Amino acid sequence: MTGTIFDFNGSKEAGWSQPDPITEDYSEAIPPQLRRSKLPEWPRASEPELVRHYTQLSQKNFGIDTGFYPLGSCTMKHNPRLNERIVQHPGIDRIHPLQPESQVQGLLAIYYEMQEMLAICSGMDAVTLQPVAGAQGEFTAIRCIQEYHRERGEGHRDKVIVPDSAHGTNPASASMCGYQIIEIPSAHDGRIDLDALRSAVGDDTAAMMITNPSTLGVFEPEIAEATEIVHNAGGQMYYDGANFNAILGKTDPGRMGFDAVHYNLHKTFSQPHGGGGPGSGPIGVKEHLSKFLPSPIVGRREAMEDEVGVADGYWYNWVTPESTIGKVQQWNGNAGAVVRSWAFYRRYGRELETMSEHAVLNANYLRHVMMNPDPNLQIHAMPVEGCPADLVKHEFTLSMSPLKDTNGVTGKDIAKRLLDYGYMAPTLYFPQIVPECLMFEPTETESKEVLDKFAQDFHSILAEDPEIVLSSPHTTPVGRVDEVWAARNLILRYNKSQDLS
Amino acid sequence: MDDLFSDIPKKIRSKGPLPLPGPQSEEEIIRDANKLLGANVDLDCRPSFLSAGLARNFVPSMVPMIATRGEFLTSYTPYQPEVSQGMLQAMWEFQTMISELVELPISNVSMYDASTSAAEAITCAVRVKSKKVEKPNTVFVSELVPPHRMSVIQNYTQGVGIEIIKLPHGEDGLLDLEKASSASGSCAVYVEQPNSFGILDEGLMRLREIVGEKTAIIVGVDVTTLGLVEPPGNWGADIVVGEGQPFGIGPTAGGPIYGIFACTKDFLRLMPGRIVGQSIDTSGKTAYTLTLSTREQHIRRHRATSNICSNETLIALMGAMHMALLGPVGLEKLSTRILASTVRTMNQITSIEGVELAFPNSPVFREFAIKIPGKSEDALSHMDKLGVTAGFDLGNWWKDKSSWILVGCDERTSDLDIKALKDALKSWVEESR
Repeated sequence: MTGTIFDFNGSKEAGWSQPDPITEDYSEAIPPQLRRSKLPEWPRASEPELVRHYTQLSQKNFGIDTGFYPLGSCTMKHNPRLNERIVQHPGIDRIHPLQPESQVQGLLAIYYEMQEMLAICSGMDAVTLQPVAGAQGEFTAIRCIQEYHRERGEGHRDKVIVPDSAHGTNPASASMCGYQIIEIPSAHDGRIDLDALRSAVGDDTAAMMITNPSTLGVFEPEIAEATEIVHNAGGQMYYDGANFNAILGKTDPGRMGFDAVHYNLHKTFSQPHGGGGPGSGPIGVKEHLSKFLPSPIVGRREAMEDEVGVADGYWYNWVTPESTIGKVQQWNGNAGAVVRSWAFYRRYGRELETMSEHAVLNANYLRHVMMNPDPNLQIHAMPVEGCPADLVKHEFTLSMSPLKDTNGVTGKDIAKRLLDYGYMAPTLYFPQIVPECLMFEPTETESKEVLDKFAQDFHSILAEDPEIVLSSPHTTPVGRVDEVWAARNLILRYNKSQDLS
Repeated sequence: MDDLFSDIPKKIRSKGPLPLPGPQSEEEIIRDANKLLGANVDLDCRPSFLSAGLARNFVPSMVPMIATRGEFLTSYTPYQPEVSQGMLQAMWEFQTMISELVELPISNVSMYDASTSAAEAITCAVRVKSKKVEKPNTVFVSELVPPHRMSVIQNYTQGVGIEIIKLPHGEDGLLDLEKASSASGSCAVYVEQPNSFGILDEGLMRLREIVGEKTAIIVGVDVTTLGLVEPPGNWGADIVVGEGQPFGIGPTAGGPIYGIFACTKDFLRLMPGRIVGQSIDTSGKTAYTLTLSTREQHIRRHRATSNICSNETLIALMGAMHMALLGPVGLEKLSTRILASTVRTMNQITSIEGVELAFPNSPVFREFAIKIPGKSEDALSHMDKLGVTAGFDLGNWWKDKSSWILVGCDERTSDLDIKALKDALKSWVEESR
């Protein structure tokens, strides 16, 4: 057990070395009543102590760098270090978003290139890079759709339709815009139920939010029909791009009939997830929604003679869309994530589709080997497919119900036991429509050897003494953590008097 | 390979390869990146007085080096606490440091930035207060909140029926306390300390007596003031938000940065964002885990307290490291250095004839507003050509202030920088005669 950072108890005068103030002439500058009475109880530690503290903490944290991370819907692919090297450049790290255009031509050129590339890949007409997470992208797009309806005198449209398999952010984002949510059940095979959709739409429909492939990892063959139903009712179609890694270069939301889409640069374009963020959630829209995009986006014109810029013949500038919804983030989005994703994109260029090909190949292969164990192995009960499709895209679901019925071992127990074998657990209990659901997404960056070994270890767990699985994990830095205890006691910060350790 | 995509109907299949350039090697990408990013003029290569909500800070070398260890960098949200103890503990420690910094008991593990944090503080306060006050769904916001933050607030509040009313200020740039009493009975007030002109407004400390006990007080802070300035938690604030960026990361062209969000216990169950709690494992050993997740979108769906999923954890980790390196004494010194730079810069440039302080009698931190002859836009462009980034044109925020410049100082402002600014301003004053 690493002690907490508050256990360090150095000299009161300790504190990282800094130069002295440039003048002593400040003593009157803050009125006495405004002065802080007591300094915060922050750690008093030296750099070597802190380096060791955080290094030890990192050793108790599992990342893609540590091992296979088949977390469905999260696209945990390798994060190239090239990207990290580039964002250390002072031309991004030491840039202020309010600098004049003339001082940031290189950054604007990268923004422009990313806007264009994302528009091409999604079949959309205009892109903003401002939203800083997928959920914020959803929120932004729904705001644009809301203004579109209002401008057309159809502000009475107050409902947004989502399938019951949708990511939780979809209904949450629409709800934050003031919409009522209509949740429609999936058909028995997990696909859209067109009849349910037909009876849900009406002249109160503002939009439908859907991801394709669905959260079951299955492509919706009737997506064009769904789009038509919603459009005929006067609603807009929103594409949740969380699963974009499955289809890049093979089809696009524009062809499927969508009006707006968000991209997760931290999934598809390898911005690292960093323990939960930062993300980046640009959105693309069709022409009729483009004037509502957040401000500003990047445009360009031919450079004049005295304008050097990045020497490509263009001058890049910030543009305010005509009927902009304004700002959703304070500045111009997570520029650092955009630049990392630019580097990732450049590595593939027009061959981006090979990325999706390998992601889909890996998912189908892993599904196959996981469902076909060595017949000599004494497995207690095999999982069943969450969706009985022949093909999946980038991810797939398995229901562990048969095992639970046989010996009480749940999906969660399997997930915890996988940690002992040196893997991150798959996504657990999502989508909620599959009982005892485990969702696997191997991504394109894993080798056949890794997938084979993973399937083999998964089968070993299915054949293990249930007691071992039920009490797992056994080899992790701590045993199974009591989440109920945490919620009951709510120890949300360090207090000297409550120190448990 | 084609078979793997045979489930996509032909009519919606892409025709031919993407119309994009060919792939590049790592070496070529770095060459191009250096060319493009090298064309930018970074803040460190010349005297710079541009702040306006982001800091030209100095980040200790340890911070990016240790925070980007692969185990931190390439991990996802710690949904499996048994193999995520490192980030969970670091975030629990982060919560403690933010809590100590602003003197409120609860902190989450970050929001996207200061503006979304302010906006979600407002929607949170309305959820908590609306049924208990005379003016439900009403929030009073300082008129000096910069327009980009107001815009974020409007986007987050417009759909859920929250009415925003502006709180006026006097000629001295201080909140009009008499008029602020109209906020009594509303769900919340949102003010900033310091305000957009860098002014430290002592009057805010009387807000509690003015608005009464029922109205939530939300304060946006510059975190670097808090080594010297009394934190809002000690004068009645219920929620404190702000830009965490000065601790942890460079201005990064505006992102990724992180917003802080801290509050009292009354707001805990309806607040946005992830929270880490201490717990025990099966053997009774101390462990950490995400807690109160039932507020969140992946469980509560459309009834969630926020749609936030990805946040800014890695940047908050950098912030935690920076705060820990500073320690209490280092924080005080950092605040003092910024204050000293502000005082010195102000004294030096107001000695120029024709340059006036917009609010000569109000205490300021980091930033102050000056009035200059002619248009700020022209003045800044003139000084830019002399190699000085002299500040921010306040005409961009408020049309009637088109000859005002917001001058931003920081711990790194040197006497040479100040001299360069002074010479550039003098040159502009002469030019404009």
